[in-house]
Amino acid sequence: MTSVVIRAEALVKDYGSVRALRGVDLEVEHGEIFGFIGPNGAGKSTTIRLLLDLLRPTSGEVEVLGQNPAAGGPELRSRIGYLPGELAMSGNRTAREHLEYMVRLRGGSGANRLEPLAERFGVELDKQFRGLSKGNKQKVGVVQAFMHSPALLILDEPTSGLDPLLQREFLDLLLEAREAGATVFMSSHVLREVEEVAGRVAIIRSGEIVDVENVRVLRNRAGQHVEFKFGEVVSQEDFAGLSGLTDLEVTGHSLSAVLRGSPDGLLKAAARHEVVSWSASNLDLEELFMDFYRMPDET
Amino acid sequence: MFNETYPITAGVLHDQRRSLTVWGSAMAGITVMYVSIFPVMGGLDIEALVSSFPDALVEALGYNEIGTASGYISSTVFGLLAPIILAVFSIGVGSRLIAGTEEDGTLELELASPTSRRAIYVQRLGALWADIVLLVAVVSAVTWAMVVGLSLDVAFMNLVAASIGLGLLVLGFGTIALAVGAATGRRPVAIGVAAAITVVGFMFDAIGPTIDAGWMMAVSPFSWYMDNNPLSQGFDVVGTAMLAVLPLAVGAVGLIGYERRDLMV
Repeated sequence: MTSVVIRAEALVKDYGSVRALRGVDLEVEHGEIFGFIGPNGAGKSTTIRLLLDLLRPTSGEVEVLGQNPAAGGPELRSRIGYLPGELAMSGNRTAREHLEYMVRLRGGSGANRLEPLAERFGVELDKQFRGLSKGNKQKVGVVQAFMHSPALLILDEPTSGLDPLLQREFLDLLLEAREAGATVFMSSHVLREVEEVAGRVAIIRSGEIVDVENVRVLRNRAGQHVEFKFGEVVSQEDFAGLSGLTDLEVTGHSLSAVLRGSPDGLLKAAARHEVVSWSASNLDLEELFMDFYRMPDET
Repeated sequence: MFNETYPITAGVLHDQRRSLTVWGSAMAGITVMYVSIFPVMGGLDIEALVSSFPDALVEALGYNEIGTASGYISSTVFGLLAPIILAVFSIGVGSRLIAGTEEDGTLELELASPTSRRAIYVQRLGALWADIVLLVAVVSAVTWAMVVGLSLDVAFMNLVAASIGLGLLVLGFGTIALAVGAATGRRPVAIGVAAAITVVGFMFDAIGPTIDAGWMMAVSPFSWYMDNNPLSQGFDVVGTAMLAVLPLAVGAVGLIGYERRDLMV
């Protein structure tokens, strides 16, 4: 078994004259849950479609489970579970008919997990697909992606449409799959969707990977919004020059700021006054996209 | 069994079961309606009426033998209604089975499954061909039942020859739609190309004899099918062979295009 499950090198994909991927480099290691984050239209789905041999690269190399997707063909895809970003299934079939169809396409693989997984997610197996709500359709997509216990799960915006309880169930399922030795590659346009389970995260913007980081490092970089209320009037100068502190606003008894990195300096400065209340909330990583990655194009 | 060996063909046919029932019933109804009128028309001396038409019009309408049972059934059911209606069905289904499902995204999971593009293409084409065989069989069986019931003068083997010709003709149009759709991924293009070939072929077959343009009949699938009046003359080896080569050749070209292309599900 190779330790690198997905490898892309200088991967370029053009649609006509439009360059969708501009040299993507990726390495996803065996057993990790890898987040693939970027705004809509950044090239997430294009990358995924190259992994599944729906698209062929314009140039560059791509390998999945040690094989080129086109050369690996059906045998390679039998070891992949895929959840599309926009799940479309014929409305006339019931959920059960769809899932049994997928089992047949996989030569019978996964038949024994169909019922248990469907039950776990509360899939209404005997309803026509067109009659299902968005969330219920998504559950069918989740079951078909996981039921044959694939070595690699490729999930495009997986939790969209799932209610919070089922998102929890879904994340548990992901962790179980990893426990069983699977590798997970999941894309999202919001980091919140992957930050709870992902180890490393790649950020893609305009067809280029701009960053690959541990999710905790990213979280740190995004920082926290902190607020203090004091028992006395404090002044801006008491907190000026502290490292990692930006957007500092001090008015009367209160302070608000954005903190990145260690809170030590801020807490010690605050402790010199009477602290009535305080709060720190994680800044959404969307805001990270906003200020950190939405840099103007240098080209 | 069939379900396991050809899951895609089986799946398509399962999805189509209601629409096939409707199309089959409609074809049976049309056949019964037209064939049952023939004995009534015998009393109207239809040949005398037709002989008063200009020769070119008679030729264009294919009414040369309208007074005989085989000529009448040729001019109505086998030469006009069944080919046109079944061509509409065939082009509609052919364009949907690959290009249509690619456009609406329902093909995505199938493509991501352990199935080759070739298997998807061949099995979907197989479903289209099975549809057409079934519907042509309905037309043929109902025609034969009417021929026997009304004691009409049509030879069984000639009906078989005409049915094979009709089946191959319609299969050709449907295969063009499926192949163009597979090679381009665009359903409107598939419908446009296949419909244009059908209409031009039909017009060439009708106009060719009246303006002495032999080349029009040489390239028209309708002429390959009907030129030698299979219902009265039986098998035409050359015409039947041409009709058989068309879907096979177009089908092969479509597959080559499909295996090489980016799929935009």
